[in-house]
Amino acid sequence: MGRSGDAAHECAAAAGTDVFAADEEVGGHLALVDWSATPLGPPEQWPQSLQTAVSILLSSRFSMWMAWGPELTFFCNAAYRRDTLGAKYPWALGRPASEVWREVWDEVVPRIDTVMTTGEATWDEGLLLYLERSGYTEESYHTFSYSPLRDDSGAVVGMLCVVSEETERVIGDRRMTTLRDLGSDPSVVRTEQEVLAFTDRQLDRNRRDLPFTLTYLLEPDGSARLAGTTGLPEGHPAAPGTLPADGSGVWPAGAPANGESVLVPLDRPPFTAPPLADRAESPTHALVLPLPRQGGTPYGFLVAGLNRYRALDDAYRGFLELAAGHLAAGIASARSYEAQQRRAEELAELDRAKTTFFSNISHELRTPLALIMGPTEELLTRFPHPGSPVRQELEVIHRNGLRLGKLVNSLLDFSRIEAGRMRARFESSDLSQFTADLASVFRSAVEKAGLEFRVDCPPLPEQVYIDRGMWEKVILNLLSNALKFTFDGSIAVTARARDGHAVITLADTGIGVARDEMPRLFERFHRIENARSRSHEGSGIGLALVKELIDLHGGTITADSTEGRGTSFTIRLPFGADHLDPLALVPAGERRVPSAAEPFVQEALRWLPDDGPGDLRPVATAADASGHPTGSARVLVADDNADMREYLARLLGGTGYRVDTVEDGLAALRAVRADAPDLVISDVMMPGLDGLGFVSALRSDPRTASIPVVLLSARAGEEASIQGLQAGADDYLVKPFAAGELLARVRANVELARLRNHQARWRTALVDSLQEAFFVCDEAGAVIEINAAFTDILGYAPDGLPYEPVHPWWPDAGTDPDAHRQVADAFALLVGNPKGSYTIPVTHREGYRLWVTANFNQAQDPDTGRRVTVGTFRDVTAEHYAIQRESAQAALGMWLTRATSLPDALEGALTELRHLWRADRVIAALATPDGSPSLWSTDAGLRWEDLSAEERGDVTAWLDRPSLTPFHDPTGAGITINHPQGPMAVRIDFGTRRPFTSEDQLLLSLLAGQLSQGLARAHQIDQQRETALALQRAILGPAGLPDGFAVRYEPATPPLEVGGDWYDTVALPDGRIGIVVGDCVGRGLGAATVMGQLRSACRALLLQDSGPAQTLMALDHFADGIAGARCTTVFCGVLTPETGRLIYSSAGHPPGILALPDGTTRLLDEGRSVPLAVRPGATRPEAGCTVPARATLLLYTDGLVERRRRPLTAGIDQASEAVHAGRDAAVDDLADQVMVRLVPPDGYDDDVALLLYRRPAPLDMAFPAESAQLAPVRKALRDWLGQCELPRHTVQNVLVAAGEACANAIEHGHRDAPGDPVRLRAEARAGDLRLTVADSGRWKTPQPGAGTHRGRGVALMHALMQRVTITSGATGTTVDMHTRIA
Amino acid sequence: MSTPLTLAPGRRPDGTALLTVAGEIDMSNVDELAAAIETTEGPLVIDLTAVEYLDSAGLSLLFRHTDRIELVVTPLLAPVLEITGLADLTTVHGL
Repeated sequence: MGRSGDAAHECAAAAGTDVFAADEEVGGHLALVDWSATPLGPPEQWPQSLQTAVSILLSSRFSMWMAWGPELTFFCNAAYRRDTLGAKYPWALGRPASEVWREVWDEVVPRIDTVMTTGEATWDEGLLLYLERSGYTEESYHTFSYSPLRDDSGAVVGMLCVVSEETERVIGDRRMTTLRDLGSDPSVVRTEQEVLAFTDRQLDRNRRDLPFTLTYLLEPDGSARLAGTTGLPEGHPAAPGTLPADGSGVWPAGAPANGESVLVPLDRPPFTAPPLADRAESPTHALVLPLPRQGGTPYGFLVAGLNRYRALDDAYRGFLELAAGHLAAGIASARSYEAQQRRAEELAELDRAKTTFFSNISHELRTPLALIMGPTEELLTRFPHPGSPVRQELEVIHRNGLRLGKLVNSLLDFSRIEAGRMRARFESSDLSQFTADLASVFRSAVEKAGLEFRVDCPPLPEQVYIDRGMWEKVILNLLSNALKFTFDGSIAVTARARDGHAVITLADTGIGVARDEMPRLFERFHRIENARSRSHEGSGIGLALVKELIDLHGGTITADSTEGRGTSFTIRLPFGADHLDPLALVPAGERRVPSAAEPFVQEALRWLPDDGPGDLRPVATAADASGHPTGSARVLVADDNADMREYLARLLGGTGYRVDTVEDGLAALRAVRADAPDLVISDVMMPGLDGLGFVSALRSDPRTASIPVVLLSARAGEEASIQGLQAGADDYLVKPFAAGELLARVRANVELARLRNHQARWRTALVDSLQEAFFVCDEAGAVIEINAAFTDILGYAPDGLPYEPVHPWWPDAGTDPDAHRQVADAFALLVGNPKGSYTIPVTHREGYRLWVTANFNQAQDPDTGRRVTVGTFRDVTAEHYAIQRESAQAALGMWLTRATSLPDALEGALTELRHLWRADRVIAALATPDGSPSLWSTDAGLRWEDLSAEERGDVTAWLDRPSLTPFHDPTGAGITINHPQGPMAVRIDFGTRRPFTSEDQLLLSLLAGQLSQGLARAHQIDQQRETALALQRAILGPAGLPDGFAVRYEPATPPLEVGGDWYDTVALPDGRIGIVVGDCVGRGLGAATVMGQLRSACRALLLQDSGPAQTLMALDHFADGIAGARCTTVFCGVLTPETGRLIYSSAGHPPGILALPDGTTRLLDEGRSVPLAVRPGATRPEAGCTVPARATLLLYTDGLVERRRRPLTAGIDQASEAVHAGRDAAVDDLADQVMVRLVPPDGYDDDVALLLYRRPAPLDMAFPAESAQLAPVRKALRDWLGQCELPRHTVQNVLVAAGEACANAIEHGHRDAPGDPVRLRAEARAGDLRLTVADSGRWKTPQPGAGTHRGRGVALMHALMQRVTITSGATGTTVDMHTRIA
Repeated sequence: MSTPLTLAPGRRPDGTALLTVAGEIDMSNVDELAAAIETTEGPLVIDLTAVEYLDSAGLSLLFRHTDRIELVVTPLLAPVLEITGLADLTTVHGL
């Protein structure tokens, strides 16, 4: 078949084979098949069902193939060609399916057998099939359903297979499982050996993708050592224990060592003997992949045998690389862990030594300090020039030496106080003067800070005893504090005498202290967190020490503060020495310069800005200077201490790091967000935002969460470092620290971060390689992480994260409340349960509907410890719709099967469509040859004219569309189907705008095809039934009844109109009438067949002029020979209508009822014998009676009167009453009345036949409007009246009245419309007689007294009859006359 | 074709003219009867005892001659004669 698609299309067009029109290309190739050589024959002769199936197949965008006929001739559509058939196209078209799928036929044939024999669809999910479609045997997986295809008679003659190929999914799942398992080792701490063993176990579980694997690790000498094996026995020649460095080994070690993968064919020893696996499974190639090491030569390489049934495509290669990557990461983490463990042990040792050291020498700190400070001060005097670099360095040493000394002193003071070893030396002093002197030391610093400094210390009246050193500390601490927390305003020191006390007050206009902090103000080590201050340096012991010192003096200190307004401290000391220990009193010494003041002042001056402010200060580094590559790590230093900033910058810059510095946590946060560094070194205690807060802020932002942070703090101890690490710091260093240690930690953290980032990248790659949508929800249900497949499937990208519930993919609550509720219920399940699975509808970002199966598990986030939910969505839209299709088709099929007629089938199908699409309305329009189409609708009573002009136009246009091709607009969808009477357009009105997906289109075309076939079948049933009904009516009763008779028949089993009961009247040649009513045993068609034969026989016998008894005896013999005729009951009579004489015989039949005009009843209960064929040959009796004039005879079958738990006589009485009640009704109306009066509440449950006869039969004659007709008409009427047995004068009255009416009719009828007939009808009831004379002329208005005989005629009529009505109209005049019969 | 009617003219023993009618009288043959009546002059006895039917056409004819006719009838015709009032205008025997 080398012809092109165009040529094929032309051929299809030329052949005019409409059946292939739905798809040009595949249809074109199908048209080229020599169908006459197949069992199906030429397409023009194909049954409607096959044409429908092929149309659906071709118009579908779903992958499908079908097989039809005895050889299961193969068809497929374009999607199947593309997905599955491959190179077999177009060869396969029109061939037997067994030939097309020869290689998998053993798998396929049991399923086809199931479908063909049971008619039930099969469903297979992920079935493995080896296909040869791509030039090699390929492992492939398919989910498919075989459904039966039926011919026009409903027999299964073929099958339709809807396929979705799932090879990618199944293999993807399998590989994902391996990758997931590789990452699922619960034990975090592992040696390299354990890592390799674990990896082997996981790799060995996926023999399909990894028939065998070998892990080789490179030794320092370049040789390789076998470290892991799967799928090969130990000692296999293909798996030697070592590979030499020279590359002469079994596997190439050189290329992977350089980071390249090598594909090795396995077609030679040692790979072939012994074989690597079963011959059928044995890999033909292996891939050798490096085990990459971050920034170095690979750890080794992984040899992976390849599945011979899968091509080594990007996905396979990617999987192998990920597996190798994971193995390498495992090795890396094991080796790194071992290294870290060693380092941790070393550090612990160091810590122990340090603790010992400090505990031993803390009290001796002052000595080395003194030895630092002394020479430093000495050196400072030698470098008096303020700008010289050496002096700057020396000043740093000096300042910090002072500060250290101050801190050490404070601590020592404290420990002394603690130990009770503080010895105060109280001397009498001028407190006011001494305090003013101390304050003056601070004046320059306070004024430099821009504050007003007021010292108001007038002499006090008495001496106060103080320890001067201690008092210095009190005043300097308080002043230092005031300066630290006051940014504008003033600081004031006052001294007063009050109540025998000296009162010293230090007041500032600083930030104040919060009310809730006040009680703890003097507590030791208590610091007010995050208060705005000039520096966050401080030990938290200043105020506590002040309080202790004042306590020693027997005084008190109180604080009064308003937040935002300022703080004032008030110290009260008693005058005199009475309150002091006399042994602690010493004589007053000389006034001297405060000794401890300088450190305080120096420290305070460092808080104050000395040059222009700036957030970020880049520091020139050695790296910049020496031209190091810019790839070196960048470190951000955050510390409020300028000396420390400068020191760290110098230290790190000198080692090659690029360094930026900032002064507090907030500035650090800004800097990090602007340009993330590789590492941050931050002080813990900083104004504004402290180090812990800074770390928390970094960690809470995903952009900065992974940046390593090393915290520096002066606070030693395990608790402090735990607090730091808990906040998320990567490392914690206590000041003072050795430069080497800082550098070592910085380097370790930068490297660890790079490794960690690699792990994070690995995790992201793993999650992104999942083919299912992956998501992580927090405790509140907000989606906080998704993978690439999530975006592919649902259309929502990570940039919208987090997605808070209600998630945007939930179906809209307004337009689709059911789906919305389904998702809401499922979501409740997700939030409330540890694990689960459910299938829900969701809406793609672009608005279309998806069905997904969600699986979720709750997990603990290892970083935050919070409970999260991890889950996946699998797109099951195709499966969902396949199931929906199945059930919709089954539901429609049920309707079509149950339908008893074409309209019934159509009505049910429209309802089903409306239900399926939850539509407002479904209409169907059928083209009619003349004028407007016929319309059906789910809205009862909707007519074609009720549609809008636009709708009518649309529908009319659709009728010309190709059949079974769905189409839609925003508010509805439609399709044209093949109705047996011509094309029919079906439209589904949604009522609102709603998407109509390709799934919906497929479903609609499938259902339309099914409906077309169903309607064709229903049409056949209709035709068959019409034929059957015609036949039934033919055997049921006489075509025309003699006058005076009325009959009714009600079968017990609709839709049949016949049963076992019958009635018959036979006009005998001599004017007599044979009357038969019978009842065969049983009901339905079987009984009807017997009845037909008996009825015909009985009729024939009567026509042979045999009497009723004779007839029944002959019938006994006849019935004896017919199966099922035995025990039939029959009433047979012969009536002479003129006299009313009735001869009858009954074969076990219920008695006839004779209702007499006088209101009495007589039963025809003589001449009775057994039912037919019970005693063949026995003589039957015969009885006679007369049916009097105006009496009514009722014959019936027992269905009329027989009721459960009621004697038959009761039913007979009821029937008699019914007849009497209708004595003055026409006999035909009476028949209806009797049937209605006797019907049981639930309808007749047995066949009922009923025959009524009233004597005489009405007289009905027509005659020409000529006066000569009067005499014969009068004669006939006189005879008829004679049968009515009326008194003579009544007869004469009626004759004259009728004569006058006839004379009038003749006279006027002759004048107006000569030749038109006059009609006379006379009817007798039990007590009443009715006469009607009708003509086509118009009478003159009678003129009484005018003397004319015509006027006299009308008067006569009125006089002679009881009621006369003359109705004159355009069509003629009718005289209606009644008279009572006495 | 008209309804058969037998008309037999004669004399009563007293010499009065007599017309004996047999059959049925209707519009189809009333003219025959009219002719027969009009051929006689003076008092006329019409014997209708053999007449089985007499309609308004015959009655109208008789009304025209009430001044000189007497009727002989059976009770069969009595209702029409009484209803129309003919019996009041002429002598009717046999009622």
